[in-house]
Amino acid sequence: MSETFFPINDLMRRKLQTSLTTVSLTLCVGSTLFLLLFSDRTGLGILSAAEEKLTIGFSTIFSRFLLFISILFLALGAIFASFLIFAMVTQRTRDVGLMKAAGCPNNLIFGYFFTELLVVAFISCFLGVILGLLADLALARILSNASFQIQQNPVDFWKILLIFTSFFILMLVFGVKPVLNSTKVEPVKALSPTYYWGIAAPPSPFKASKQSLTVKIALRGIFRRASATIRIVLCLTLLFLLLTVTIAGGVIAKQTTENWIEKAVGRNILLIAHHEICSQYEILLSKFHENMEVSALNYTTEEYLIPEALEAHLNSMPHNIRLERRLVMWVYIKELPGTMVDEHGAYITVGDSREGESLVVGVEPENTFGEWFLDGEFLKEEEGENMCAVIGDSIANSMFTVPLEQYLQVYGGQFDVVGVCVDPINNGKVVYVNIRDLQRITGVSKPNILLVKVASLSDYEKVLNEIRGAVKAVNQDFEVLELNTILEKSLAFLGLLWSAIMFLPFCALASAVPCFIGYVVLALTEQRQEFGVLRALGAKPRTILKVVAVQNLVVLLSSYACGVAFGIIITLLILVPNPLVTSFTVLQIAGLLSTALAATFLISLYPAIKLNRKSILEMLA
Amino acid sequence: MNVVVSASEICKTFEVGDLRIEVLNGVNLEVEKGEFVTISGPSGSGKTTLLNIIGGIDKPTKGRIIVFGEDLNVKDEDFLASFRCHNIGFVFQSYNLISTLTVSENIAFPMEWTKKSTSQIESRVKELLEKFGLQHRANHFPFQLSGGEQQRVAFARALANDPPLLLVDEPTGNLDVKTGLKIVEVLRELKEREKTMIVVTHDTRILDLADKKTLLEDGKLVLMFE
Repeated sequence: MSETFFPINDLMRRKLQTSLTTVSLTLCVGSTLFLLLFSDRTGLGILSAAEEKLTIGFSTIFSRFLLFISILFLALGAIFASFLIFAMVTQRTRDVGLMKAAGCPNNLIFGYFFTELLVVAFISCFLGVILGLLADLALARILSNASFQIQQNPVDFWKILLIFTSFFILMLVFGVKPVLNSTKVEPVKALSPTYYWGIAAPPSPFKASKQSLTVKIALRGIFRRASATIRIVLCLTLLFLLLTVTIAGGVIAKQTTENWIEKAVGRNILLIAHHEICSQYEILLSKFHENMEVSALNYTTEEYLIPEALEAHLNSMPHNIRLERRLVMWVYIKELPGTMVDEHGAYITVGDSREGESLVVGVEPENTFGEWFLDGEFLKEEEGENMCAVIGDSIANSMFTVPLEQYLQVYGGQFDVVGVCVDPINNGKVVYVNIRDLQRITGVSKPNILLVKVASLSDYEKVLNEIRGAVKAVNQDFEVLELNTILEKSLAFLGLLWSAIMFLPFCALASAVPCFIGYVVLALTEQRQEFGVLRALGAKPRTILKVVAVQNLVVLLSSYACGVAFGIIITLLILVPNPLVTSFTVLQIAGLLSTALAATFLISLYPAIKLNRKSILEMLA
Repeated sequence: MNVVVSASEICKTFEVGDLRIEVLNGVNLEVEKGEFVTISGPSGSGKTTLLNIIGGIDKPTKGRIIVFGEDLNVKDEDFLASFRCHNIGFVFQSYNLISTLTVSENIAFPMEWTKKSTSQIESRVKELLEKFGLQHRANHFPFQLSGGEQQRVAFARALANDPPLLLVDEPTGNLDVKTGLKIVEVLRELKEREKTMIVVTHDTRILDLADKKTLLEDGKLVLMFE
């Protein structure tokens, strides 16, 4: 028998097993390549969408997520491939024993099975690459036609070659070990079920229990295939880890980041200012989700300042409204170095004297509507000896070395940097100071912005119209701008970015399901005859289904528990700082993860349902 | 009701590609309560197929099979499963023990579907282990047993629910003379207890025990001796 003829013949003889392994490996390679290419497209999409838009703090969270998910995708693909190849080769252990017993030399046996491995690995990698490529191109086209923001860059063929080569080598490395092990083992061992089933220790004395038969057969079946079970549990753990990080992380991060924006901007806030300041402020807020340019404007021109009459008029309105006075200006700011103690206890100077333009907002700390996500603290209500400032995360990143140990110069006045905040306005290139300090150093006595918070939502429209009327009555050039509209746009933009990321794990789930079905089919092939015996002796079809269901459930739940636990830890501790977790968030995450678990479980029962349709004789054959 | 099995004009045809293989061609058989019937015949003559049809795990292409008054052709899978569990004990030629269950568990599991209490199951398992001399093997797995021991476990399992009909396929076919003798003894004892049995065999020691000997040839069942 030639060295080529035997492997081909052997592969053809095991049609179901060969096709299942090839299809699963193809899907595995294909989906990994697809995910890599597609997340790259989406990732690039996100980065280019985020460029000059998101603040540094937000971009960091997104890139951390994408990096983590990409690493998990690659690890998942590699483990899936190794599992499938291992399962394929392990099933030939008995044949190896038979051939050795018949006198076939070791090197010839190794040659036969290694050729089989080469054939399956090459075909799977080749088909997988084509599948992944086609899937990526198809989805990119579909999403592009549906006006989804996606990069239409040409496919990177080096990436394809990398995936093909890595998976091919991986399959050979993982596959060659069991072949070598089998060829090294004595024929009598290779033929013994004790060796390839791994049953050795006698169980505890017999105790009859009515409920246990199904569970007993199921659990012992799982432990008999210990090696395959451990591998599939590892695969699924990684899958559920990926799902948890993206679903739980995505949901938590989405809510947390949305909460940061919502609190920083405020809900149901009206902005009253000169119409030019209004337009300018709208652009500054919209820079978070749209590429917009701000025009040069002298914010402290007399005509832009809020007339006292207007403030008095609004204060005298009978409605439940609150006012906040702000002084906004576009000025040069300068970083000043500070001193800190290094790890050896010595004083060192940190920072430089970088300078640039920034939006500076004077606020009344005791009266402000904004609530910022902060590193450090916010401005103090009472005025101290030193003037304090809170800077936006983008300024902190681009102009400061250790912001909280440094100082800031505005209009010649020196401010202690006491906090770094996440704020969508001007994309985080903003400085908040006490309005009284700003007024003192600039000499501008009045605010140029009034923020109004409408407490009662029931008569919101009525109050809005009355405020509009009051403003126009005092000065025709002044306007009322609803910040809710801009806030909604920013939240929608964030939501779009997160949903693009959260779409990716479902592709991983789709590629994991055939892998798990492969394991179930492996288990059923091994147990098929015994299930036939059970049926012949009086077991109803649903008893067989119960055994398979218990096996699948044990494997799925153990993977689920590990994956979800690690996923939650990673999400809460590493990926999202100060996560916002409400009871609704928990319900939402639990719902999505349970749906994924239930769907995988239900699909995994399909091979058992199909087996149950066979006649007892077919099962016994 | 004395007639336990009534098979009339049973035909069974297998189709392999374009080829039609007629295994049984108008088989008629009646087995009465307490009878010991043997079926012999050349390899591939359809002995096991006939046994499977009588046991309700296969259906004839044509003909009628009535066991304990039930027409098995028209019953669904759930009924047949329950019927086999309560009325028929199977001993397969290749033992077919469940590899993940121990000897005790292999004997016990058909009882678990008949709603017996755990104490009943335990005492019955103990009784059968003693009867077949398998006490020392109670907690061993099938692959740790010899062929003869596995065959004895298969008999113990078939008798677990004390079914009124026992179908036995080549019980000594895979065993040496000495081990086969133990199985013959088991059959002799069951005959003495007037258990209705249909045994596929060529073993003259078993044929000598039969009340009715039949030969399956060219798809027809011929009565050799009554």
